[in-house]
Amino acid sequence: MDSNKKYWKGLEELNRTPEFVEKNKNEFAEPIPIEEVLSGSGLSSKTPRRDFLKALGFGVGAVTLAACQKVPVHKSIPYLIKPEEVTPGVANYYTSSYEGQAILVKTREGRPIKVEGNPNDLFSKGGLSAQAQASVLDLYDINRLQGPRIKGVEAGWEETDAYIKKELAAVAASGKGIRLVTSTVYSPSTLAVIAEFTAKYPTTKHINYDTVSYTGIIQANQNSFGKAVLPHYNFDKADVIVSFGADFLGTWISGEEFTRQYVSNRNSKSLANKKMSRHIQFETGMSMTGTNADARITTKPSEIGVALINLYNAIAGTTLPGSKATGSKKVDTAIMLAAKELVAAKGKALVVSGSNDVATQVLVNAINSLLGSYGTTIDLDNPSKQYAGNDAAFVEFVNEVKRGDVGAVLFLNANPAYDYYKADEFKAALKNVRLSVSFADHADETALLATVNAPNHHYLESWGDANAVEGYYTVIQPAINPVYNTRQAEHSLLAWMENPIKDYYTYVRKTWDSGLLAKGGLSGQKGWEALLQAGMVVATPAAAGAYSFSLDLAGVTQKILTQSKAVAADGDKFELQLYVSQAIGDGKRGNNPWLQELPDPVSKVTWDNFAAMSISDMKKLKLEEGDVIKIDANGYSVELPVLAQPGQTQGTLSVAVGYGRTNAGPVGNNVGKNAFPFFSLSNGTFQTAAVATFKSAGYKSPLAQTQTHHSYEGRSVIREATFVEYKKNPAAGSGNEHGRKDYNAESLWDNHDRPVYDWVMAIDLNACTGCGACVVACSAENNIPVVGKDEVSRRREMHWIRIDRYYSYNDHGNSEEAVTKEKEIDKLDNFDNVSVVHQPMLCQHCDHAPCETVCPVLATVHSSEGLNHMAYNRCVGTRYCANNCPFKVRRFNWFNYWNDARFDNYLQGEHTQLVLNPDVVTRFRGVMEKCSMCIQRIQAGKLKAKIEKRPLKDGEIKMACQQTCSANAIVFGNRNDPNSEVSKALASERTYYVLEELNVQPGIGYQTKVRNIIETEAQA
Amino acid sequence: MRSFSLILKQFSRSVLLIAGFAFWSLSNAYAQTDAAKGEAIFKSKCTTCHKIESRLIGPALGPQLTEETDDKYLIQWIQNNQALIAAKNPKALKIYNEYNQSGMTVFADLSDADVGNIITYVRNTWKEDQAKPAAGAAAPDAKVESGPSDMVVFGLIGIIVIAFIVILVLNRVVGSLERILLKNKDLVIEDEVTADGAVAVDAKKEFIAKILKNKKLVFFILVAGTVAMCSWGWVSLWNTNVHQGYQPVQPIKYSHELHAGIMKIDCQYCHSGAYKSKNASIPSLNVCMNCHKVVKTESEEIHKIYDALGYDPKTQKYDSTQAKPIQWVRIHNLPDLAYFNHSQHVKVGGIKCQQCHGPVQEMKEVYQYSPLTMKWCIQCHKRTEVNGKGNAYYDSILAAHDKIKKGEKVTAAVLGGIECGKCHY
Repeated sequence: MDSNKKYWKGLEELNRTPEFVEKNKNEFAEPIPIEEVLSGSGLSSKTPRRDFLKALGFGVGAVTLAACQKVPVHKSIPYLIKPEEVTPGVANYYTSSYEGQAILVKTREGRPIKVEGNPNDLFSKGGLSAQAQASVLDLYDINRLQGPRIKGVEAGWEETDAYIKKELAAVAASGKGIRLVTSTVYSPSTLAVIAEFTAKYPTTKHINYDTVSYTGIIQANQNSFGKAVLPHYNFDKADVIVSFGADFLGTWISGEEFTRQYVSNRNSKSLANKKMSRHIQFETGMSMTGTNADARITTKPSEIGVALINLYNAIAGTTLPGSKATGSKKVDTAIMLAAKELVAAKGKALVVSGSNDVATQVLVNAINSLLGSYGTTIDLDNPSKQYAGNDAAFVEFVNEVKRGDVGAVLFLNANPAYDYYKADEFKAALKNVRLSVSFADHADETALLATVNAPNHHYLESWGDANAVEGYYTVIQPAINPVYNTRQAEHSLLAWMENPIKDYYTYVRKTWDSGLLAKGGLSGQKGWEALLQAGMVVATPAAAGAYSFSLDLAGVTQKILTQSKAVAADGDKFELQLYVSQAIGDGKRGNNPWLQELPDPVSKVTWDNFAAMSISDMKKLKLEEGDVIKIDANGYSVELPVLAQPGQTQGTLSVAVGYGRTNAGPVGNNVGKNAFPFFSLSNGTFQTAAVATFKSAGYKSPLAQTQTHHSYEGRSVIREATFVEYKKNPAAGSGNEHGRKDYNAESLWDNHDRPVYDWVMAIDLNACTGCGACVVACSAENNIPVVGKDEVSRRREMHWIRIDRYYSYNDHGNSEEAVTKEKEIDKLDNFDNVSVVHQPMLCQHCDHAPCETVCPVLATVHSSEGLNHMAYNRCVGTRYCANNCPFKVRRFNWFNYWNDARFDNYLQGEHTQLVLNPDVVTRFRGVMEKCSMCIQRIQAGKLKAKIEKRPLKDGEIKMACQQTCSANAIVFGNRNDPNSEVSKALASERTYYVLEELNVQPGIGYQTKVRNIIETEAQA
Repeated sequence: MRSFSLILKQFSRSVLLIAGFAFWSLSNAYAQTDAAKGEAIFKSKCTTCHKIESRLIGPALGPQLTEETDDKYLIQWIQNNQALIAAKNPKALKIYNEYNQSGMTVFADLSDADVGNIITYVRNTWKEDQAKPAAGAAAPDAKVESGPSDMVVFGLIGIIVIAFIVILVLNRVVGSLERILLKNKDLVIEDEVTADGAVAVDAKKEFIAKILKNKKLVFFILVAGTVAMCSWGWVSLWNTNVHQGYQPVQPIKYSHELHAGIMKIDCQYCHSGAYKSKNASIPSLNVCMNCHKVVKTESEEIHKIYDALGYDPKTQKYDSTQAKPIQWVRIHNLPDLAYFNHSQHVKVGGIKCQQCHGPVQEMKEVYQYSPLTMKWCIQCHKRTEVNGKGNAYYDSILAAHDKIKKGEKVTAAVLGGIECGKCHY
C-alpha cells in the first residue's frame, strides 16, 4: 500500500507554480549558453577578416609550438631528509581536538586534508559537525593574516613584543585596567596562562564573551542550586523531552553530543526493542530540532514564558500568581498534554528551554526539579564548560571602556565589533583604549580597529588542550607547521608577561604533567605519548546528584510575565525571533565556502539569511517569496528577503544571526545581513526576541534555495508510520506491510554477478536529523567544488549527497482528514501544522541503473561489486544519464571550477588546493559526476586487508558521510555477507527502497520514519 | 762410520736446508699474510667508522697509528677502549674527549695478533700512500666514456645491414624488372642498344610515361601509399602522449646499472614506498647518505648530494640553511585520472619491478620501458593470474569465483580488475 500522504519540498512544488513547472520540466533548468560562449570569445560574425587571420595564424603557431615539446617535464622532488613516520602516498592520522571534541586529523605528506571524529570521543563517538568538517579549509584560507601588524603596518614578532611590553608596562603603571576578552576558554593550559598573566599585570580581568550566550542557564543554576554551571544534559536517559525553542540537535550547547544521545532512543535498535522517546517542541520558527519533533507546536516568543508557567502549574498542581492563558488555544491544550506525559515519565523526563532569560531558566529548573530530572537527565555535578560567558560582565566592560578606565584590551577569538548588539557604541569606545590587541587570524571587524594584530595559529597548527565537560580532557596537537608567520596567542601572552617558559608546548606539557595526566592514570613521558595516541583523558565522573528546587517562584513569574509582555507584538507588529544558523553558526566561520554553500537544514537556503514568515501572513500582506522587507526593531533596521516557511508561527519573523559580515574575507563579506544589533539586554542577559515592524522595500532579492532543485514530481519517496502502527506491524507504512513485492519478476535487464562484494547502504530516516554534516564531509573527501550563490540559483550545486527535506500536513493517522493526492490542498490551509522528514539522497548505485543504459560512450558502467562507476575521462557530456536518473543525483560540471577566475574565492588557487584529497581526481568542465560510494575508501580498505593477509572486516570501510554522522543514520557494507551490519539493517521490516516500483533495484535501502504520535495529540 | 757421518752430515745439511727453507718460506708467508689478514679484518670491522687517509666518524687511522708507536697501548685500546678510559689512561682520555666522548666499539673478539695485523696493514698502506702522493691525484677516474655507446654502435651496424639488404633487394628488383622489360618489349631494348645517349634519355622518359600509363600499377601504388599513410597516421595517433623510451637527463648521473645491477642493492632499499604506498617514491637524500657518507666521497656527483643537503664532508656537519632539494625529472608520468598503487602490485601481487620498469639493473640512465597505456594495463590484468595463495584475504574470494568460473584461471580481470572504477576515481 502506498502512502496517500502528500509530501512536498517547497510551496512552488506544492502549488505547481508556472515558473517551477517550467524549470522542473527539464533536468537542467537552463540550456548550455552556446551563444554566450561564442560571442564571448570573439568568434561572432562581426570578427574582421584580419583579426580572424591573426587568430588563425597565432593558433596554428601556438599549436605547432606546443606540439613540439614531446614530453612535458614533470619535476619530482623527494624529501631531503624524510621524516621517519611519513611515507609519501600514505595518510597519517593525528589526534587533536576541535572545540573540546576529540578528533583525528588526516594528513598527507604533512598537510592536513580532512578532519574526522575520534571513535572514542565522549560526545559523539566519531561523529563530527559540519563546522568541524569544514574547519580544515580555514587552514588554507589565503586571506588569513600572514604576520603581526602594528597600527596596520606589518611588523616582526620581536618588534611587536617590544611594543606591547612597553605599552602594557605603561598601562600597568597608569593603574588603568587590562582586559582580556575571549569567547569561553575551557582549556586548562590557556586558563593557567591567563592566570599567570593576571598575576604579572594585576589590573587584568578576564571576560568570557559568548556571541550566543547561555548566561541565563548559568545564572539560573546559581540562583536555584548555588552552582553557576551549564549542566550536562543526558537526552539518552529521557523518555519524554519537551523543548521550548531549544535547538538542541543543532546549535544549542552541544548539538553533536545531544544528537547521538537523542537518536539512541529513536533509531532502529531502540525501535526493535519497542522503545522510542517522545519529543515535543514548542517553538517560533522552524528549527532543525523542531523538524525532528514528534509534536511541534508553533508558539510566539511572548507565549513561551506564559506556557512555561502553565506547564509548571499543571505539573505542580498549583497556580502561580499572575498565571494566564497564552492566547493560543493550541499551545494551552498542548501544555496540558505535555504536562501529563512529563509527569507520567517522572525521572525520565527533560524540559529544556532555548531562552537566555534567567527567570525563564529558573522556572525550567523548578519544572525539572519537580520531574526528578536532576541526577538522571540533568547532571549538575559533571557540568559542561563549553560556555561560561557572562553578558553583564561584557556590558560592564564596554562601559568601562567608555569611561576610559581601560588601558589595554586583548581579544582572543572574540569579535565584538561585529557581534556585540551595540557594535557601533563599542567601536567608538574602543578608540579610548591605548592598546588594543587582536589575536584573530583574519583581519576581522575587531582586528581592523585594534592597534596590534598578533595573529593566532589555526587550531591545526597549535598545541593546546580542552576540557569541554568536567572530567573530559582532550589534547590539541599540531598537524602541520604554521603556514604563515603567525604565533599562538598563549605563546604571545607568555612572551608579554616574560614568563620563564618560552614556548607554549612546554607549558601545555607542564599543565598535563602536574595533574591532568594523573586523572587518566598516566604519568611522565610515556603517559604523554599515550595521551597523544589516545587524544583524551576521561576521569571517572562524579555521581550526578539530585537537586531539589526550593525557591519562591512569585518573583520569577512576575519577571517572566514582564519579559513576555515586552516582546509581545500588538496591532500589525510582528514578533521577531533571532536564531543561530546551523551552517554558519555565530558567523565566526563566515569565510568558509563549504559552510556558506551548505543548504540550511530547514529552509535549504544557501549563501544568505532571510526573514522567515508564515505563509498565511504572507498571503495577508500580499508578499511573495524573495520580496525584500525592511525590518525595524530595537532601533535598528535591515532589509532582508522574505522566505515562506511552513511551520512558522503566525505573527512572527525569524532571522538568523551570523550573516552580514563586512570583514570576514572575500567569501563571507556581505553575505546576508547582520542581525546581531536586534539583540537587546534585559535583566542582565542578551535577549533574542524583539518586537518588529516592517514594510516592503519595494524590490526583490531571490534566494538561492535548493529545496526543489531535484524534484520527484510528487512520486512517493517517503514512507512513514506512527509508533503505535509500528508496534502493531513493524513494516507499517513501508509499503511492505503485506510482504515484499517482487518487482523483478519481469525484467528488461540481466542481473549482474556480484560474487564477492555487494556494496550497499542503509539509511535510517528515523535517525537522520538533517544536520548536513555529511554534505560537508563528502565535499572534503571527494573534492567537490563550491559554485557560489549565482550558480546555486541556477540549480548547479555540485553536492554528491543532499538532504531532501519534505513537508507534509499533519493528519495524525486520521484518514478522514488525510490530505490525499486527489484532494484539493488549498482548502486545508494549515501550513502551521506540518511535519518534516529528512531524506539523505545520493547515488543509489542501482543494479539496473537507468543511467548506464543511455550512456553512448559507456562512461558509466556497473561493477562486479554492485557499484555504478563513473569514468570522467570517458564522459563526453551528453548528460543523458542525468536526464534518465530517477533520483536526480547526477551533477554536471558546467565550468572548470578548479581553474576558472569566476570561482576564485572558493577553492581555486594553489594554496587552497592543498586541501584536496590526492586520492580523488578533480573533474573538469563538461563531465558528469556523482557519488562514487567513496570508492577510494573501498579500494584502500581492501588493499589494507590484502597487505595484512586477512579477510576484510565488516565496518572496516566507512563512507565519509557515514563516518561523520553523529546519529549513525548511515550504515554501509557488504550485502553478500549475511552477518554484516548493513545486511541486518536492510533485513529490517522498516526497509523500503525509493522508487522500487521502477525495478531499478537501488543499492540504498531506507528505513521508514516513525513518529511517536499519540492519538490524543494536540490539535488546534 | 765415515760413510755414516757423511750420510748424517748430508742428512743434517739437508734437514737444515729444508728447515731453513721452510723457515724462510714460512716467515715470508707469515709476513705476507700479516698485512693481508689485517686488511680483511680492517675492511670488515673498521671501515664503518674509520678511513686510513681521512677522518670519518673516528680519526684518520693512517697518521694516527703512525704517530702512535706504542703498539701495546694500541692493542689495548682497540680491544677494549672502555677499560682504558675507565682506568683514566691520559692518552685514552685525551682522544675520548676529542671525539665528544663517543666511545669506540669494543672488539674483545680480536686477538693481539689480529690487532697487530690491522696495525701493520694500516701503517703499510699509509706509508705507500705517502710515497705516491701525486700519483693518486694525477690518475683521474679511469671511468671515462670510451667512444660511442653500445646503442649507437649496434644502431649503426643495424642501419648498415638494413641498408645493405635494401640495396641488395633493390638491385635484384631492378634486375628482374629489366629482365621482364627485356622480355616483353624487345623493340625498345633494341632501340636502346642501337641508340646513343640522347636516345637513352628519351627512352627513360618514355619508360616513365609508360609506367604512368599503366593504370593498374598507378592504382596499386596509390592504394599502397594511402594504406601506408593511414596506418602510419593510425599508429602515430595511438601513440600520442605515449612516451615509451623517454629518457630525460637527470640532475645527478645516478646509475641504476651500478647500484641495482653490479652492487645488487635491493630496489626496495631506496624505493621503500613500493611495499606500503601507492608511490614507490624517490629516496630522500638521507638514504643516499647511509652509504655515501663513506663511499665515493670524492665523486663530483656525490658532492651534488652533499650540496643539496648543505653537508660539509670535511667537518661532517649539516647546514640546513644551505639545503636545496634535488629536482629529479619524472620519467613515468601516469596521468592524474588514473590511480595506480605500487603496494597492490608489488606487495600483494608479488610482481617484479622489472615487469613494468624493464631491466633497470642494466640501465645507466633510466628510461620509460613500458608504454604505460591503458591497453598495456588491461592486457596484463587479463593475463595475470591472481596471486592469492597464502593470503587469507583471497580465500573466500577465490572460492566464490571458482564456483562461477569452474576451474578456469582467475585473473585480475576476473576479480574486476578491468572495471573503470578500479583505477579511475
